[in-house]
Amino acid sequence: MADGTALTLAHARHLLRRTGFGASQAEAQEFLADHPTRGDAANALLAFKPAGFKAGGRDFDAIHDKWIKYMLKAKAPLQEKLVLFWHDHFATGISKVFDARMMANQNKLFRLNCRGNFKALVKAVNKDPAMMEYLDTPRNHAEIPNENYARELLELFTLGVKDSAGQDNYLQEDVAQIARAFSGWTYDKAAYLRDYDHDFSDDWSDRGLPVGSPTPPGNKRVFVVKGGFGGGGRDFAVNGEGEAEIDAVIDIVFEHADSQGENTVARRTARRLIEYFAHPDPSLSFIDQVVSASSFDVAFDLTPLLHAIFVHDDFYLTAGPPVGAATRKSVRWPVDYVVGSLRLLKMKPKGKYQYIDGGSYNRVVDQLSNMGQLVFDPPSVFGWDWETSWVSSATMLARYSFARDLIAARGGGSSSFRPEKLVDLGLTDPSAIVTAATDTLGMTGDLTAGEAATLVAYLTDNGANPSLDLNDYDTRNRKLHGLFALLMQMPAYQLQ
Amino acid sequence: MAISRRQFLKRGGLATAGTLLGPGLFGHGLRRAHAALEDNDRYFVVIFLDGGNDGLNTVIPADDIAGLRTAYNAVRDNINITPAELTNSLIGFDPISGTQLGIHPGFNVPGGFFENGAGAGGLKALYDLGKVAVVQGCGYPEYSLSHEEARVIWQTGVPLVASGGTGWIGRHLAAQYAGNQIPAVNIDDSVVGEFRQTGTSVLAVRDLERFDFPFDDDYSDDDAAKTAAFGLLNQSAVTGAQPAALFIGNTGIATYDATAAYQSLSGLYDTDRGAYAQLYSDVGRSLANDLREVARVIYGVEQGVPNVNARFFQLSNGGYDTHSDQGGAQENGQHFSLHAELGAALKVFYDDLASMPGNVANRVCVLVWSEFSRRIPQNENGTDHGSQGPMFVIGGGVQGGVYGNHPNIEESALDDEGNTVYTQDANDFRSTDFRDVYGTVLKHWVNLPVGPGPGTVQGILPLDSTVEAVSDPAHYWRSADFDLGFLP
Repeated sequence: MADGTALTLAHARHLLRRTGFGASQAEAQEFLADHPTRGDAANALLAFKPAGFKAGGRDFDAIHDKWIKYMLKAKAPLQEKLVLFWHDHFATGISKVFDARMMANQNKLFRLNCRGNFKALVKAVNKDPAMMEYLDTPRNHAEIPNENYARELLELFTLGVKDSAGQDNYLQEDVAQIARAFSGWTYDKAAYLRDYDHDFSDDWSDRGLPVGSPTPPGNKRVFVVKGGFGGGGRDFAVNGEGEAEIDAVIDIVFEHADSQGENTVARRTARRLIEYFAHPDPSLSFIDQVVSASSFDVAFDLTPLLHAIFVHDDFYLTAGPPVGAATRKSVRWPVDYVVGSLRLLKMKPKGKYQYIDGGSYNRVVDQLSNMGQLVFDPPSVFGWDWETSWVSSATMLARYSFARDLIAARGGGSSSFRPEKLVDLGLTDPSAIVTAATDTLGMTGDLTAGEAATLVAYLTDNGANPSLDLNDYDTRNRKLHGLFALLMQMPAYQLQ
Repeated sequence: MAISRRQFLKRGGLATAGTLLGPGLFGHGLRRAHAALEDNDRYFVVIFLDGGNDGLNTVIPADDIAGLRTAYNAVRDNINITPAELTNSLIGFDPISGTQLGIHPGFNVPGGFFENGAGAGGLKALYDLGKVAVVQGCGYPEYSLSHEEARVIWQTGVPLVASGGTGWIGRHLAAQYAGNQIPAVNIDDSVVGEFRQTGTSVLAVRDLERFDFPFDDDYSDDDAAKTAAFGLLNQSAVTGAQPAALFIGNTGIATYDATAAYQSLSGLYDTDRGAYAQLYSDVGRSLANDLREVARVIYGVEQGVPNVNARFFQLSNGGYDTHSDQGGAQENGQHFSLHAELGAALKVFYDDLASMPGNVANRVCVLVWSEFSRRIPQNENGTDHGSQGPMFVIGGGVQGGVYGNHPNIEESALDDEGNTVYTQDANDFRSTDFRDVYGTVLKHWVNLPVGPGPGTVQGILPLDSTVEAVSDPAHYWRSADFDLGFLP
């Protein structure tokens, strides 16, 4: 765990895959030449200037396709990866919010805060209208509380139900007390959306928010039993009622200590970021070391925390091929699969409706839906289930279909699969062709010898045609296209 | 001689497309020799109401003989279902208090609610046929108000263990079926919690019609070569032992096998049973469409389609998290709509099965559950998360009626949160442990021995015997009752 540790080519490829949408062997080499150490690399990846989101439309399809386009074109893919993380973390869905403009504004909020201060981000999410709608804040009244937001604030956004030792982090009475603080809040929708179409550059965050009749005065007390605050718990109306009070709730939650005396929010947030960027089931020492190295438990700044993760030895544990029962490779998310493949193959979805120009001619949005991930419409407030939950016969068929659709896109132009731009058509040796294709897809070194032999046998029809003429139209379309489909369909490509 | 694709993959040799795609792909696994649904030619369907269905507005006290109606009126205001509104959806009586009960009026779907009167009468019609068991007050100790935690508890059937683990049906599947069989199908993108396990293949299908393997149609002469390579690449992942790769490899192999067998089911069903296919479309909601997929598979099994042998099914319906705008008895209310959809879809499904050759309806059992019920006192116009609620068990073999006790909703009897209290005390309001409902199904429908031991009901559903709080055994499930009576 050192900034000065030299980056290797394999580690550069891993870093670019995990923090972005993958890199070909050539791109990894170029990156390595510019950033020879882990610290250099992390600094470079985190140097992007957070930029906003111009939705360019008022319905779901418009904002969905626009975000996918942002990902396809991103020069700082880490920003997109982070926004996707926060969208999953603070999961909010248009199926309940009903207004694409509010969803787009929330996306902008995540963009501008994606590597900033986590405490500030949670405070902003408290007052985000899309979130308020999604978790019923406007329907939470002093006389008749609605606990939806308060519960998820603790369970999903900050503490988690249980800590690293399996102990409860809070009780139902804590949820009820926090719900009281959020009662009475609503927002002025007309004012909030007034300048939606043209005013994206300024800070919109305070406009029209929050309004309404704040919670009636009266003390509220939380964490009497859990959280390490002692027998008296903590009062959160002491700084005043109203907006100061809901900010005070967050300040208190961020002081919560787990049963081992460690900062609960810091540990859980670090764990989730590690699970997202590195691998499932990280060791507690990995978590505690990155928290400590970045002082995240004190300052809650995300950039130093991410830096600490990206230079840690454990981050690179899964850089190699997926061998052995002990390795913890992650399953690529559908968005990553789609965007990464399109970027690596230098293809663009076609037309206004963003469809893939071959095979089923399905729209990207439909392909992603079949794979189980529609951004702006997560299945529930829990976001998406990760890892092997992405994998089923239904979702894998959707991935296989997408791969087929890509290689069957023969209509011409930038929406087509054009392997001549990726692979030297002068290659005739099947092993060299397999290597060139794996280099293109960022899979260098990820195949076992047996898998490579399988692909050579495929190219040569089990040795019947030991040399290939890729300049021959049918040979290229049959076998080189087929090779790319098989690579994108094979288990190794689903892993990262 | 035909060679199975699996053998072919292991040999890694040459084969023609015909033998690759032919029948006999995965039907030769060794069945373990004890009780199973197959032995009685039965099917089991689980429906999950996702979000926490409001039990108190699902099974509602209709008279005040024991004070339940007064208690109900005290906590339900603008979502109150009045006795007059229950007139056409009365069911039986609460077993101990004698209170007349009604189910939500949405369950008696008006003829004009869905296109062409599809599913009219809904769940109430099935109840009147004696095919619906309403099991009241289902819960478990130390209830969770978290959607996820509660859902995992119901799916695993193990409340007091932190989280994760295998599903209650999954444990049965793993003990009963060989790894290359597909005994269970869920209509979803991912394998659901009830079916989760490590041993057998569960098929997750959203749409049978589109369940075919995507080849490059411009070069179909290369399909066999691609199939061979695809199989070997998945096999490689399976032998590599990296857990995620292994999972993906197994799924890839099972998926390819299933595409060969399952994609024909949609056409077969629609040709033979077009009128019923249309009724599901007339209901027009996702639950109805998903139930039609189940019907298509069952019909395929009944018709002897090679390699289609599924007996267990799961599907879910969302939208039950009615924190706001829940509605009462009005037809445009959210809860009304949800109940109308469920009832109509089940009615169409039942009628469909009943008219298939061999009276299939008598061999299908449907279990309906939700991860929790909702807060007894309402909020502004909805309800927050709660504890115990009713379950439904539906089928031709079910002994219809009301089982279990209505929970005590007197405000003085609620806990500090406003939820009903789980108890195994033998008083008027003894709760139904949801594991007794599962156990009754496993014992009387799946025909498992009670046990104990692996592959038995007790092996699948462990008692709360590890709990320290022996001082108050009434709070825990320490003695199983797998004979709740709704199945003979």
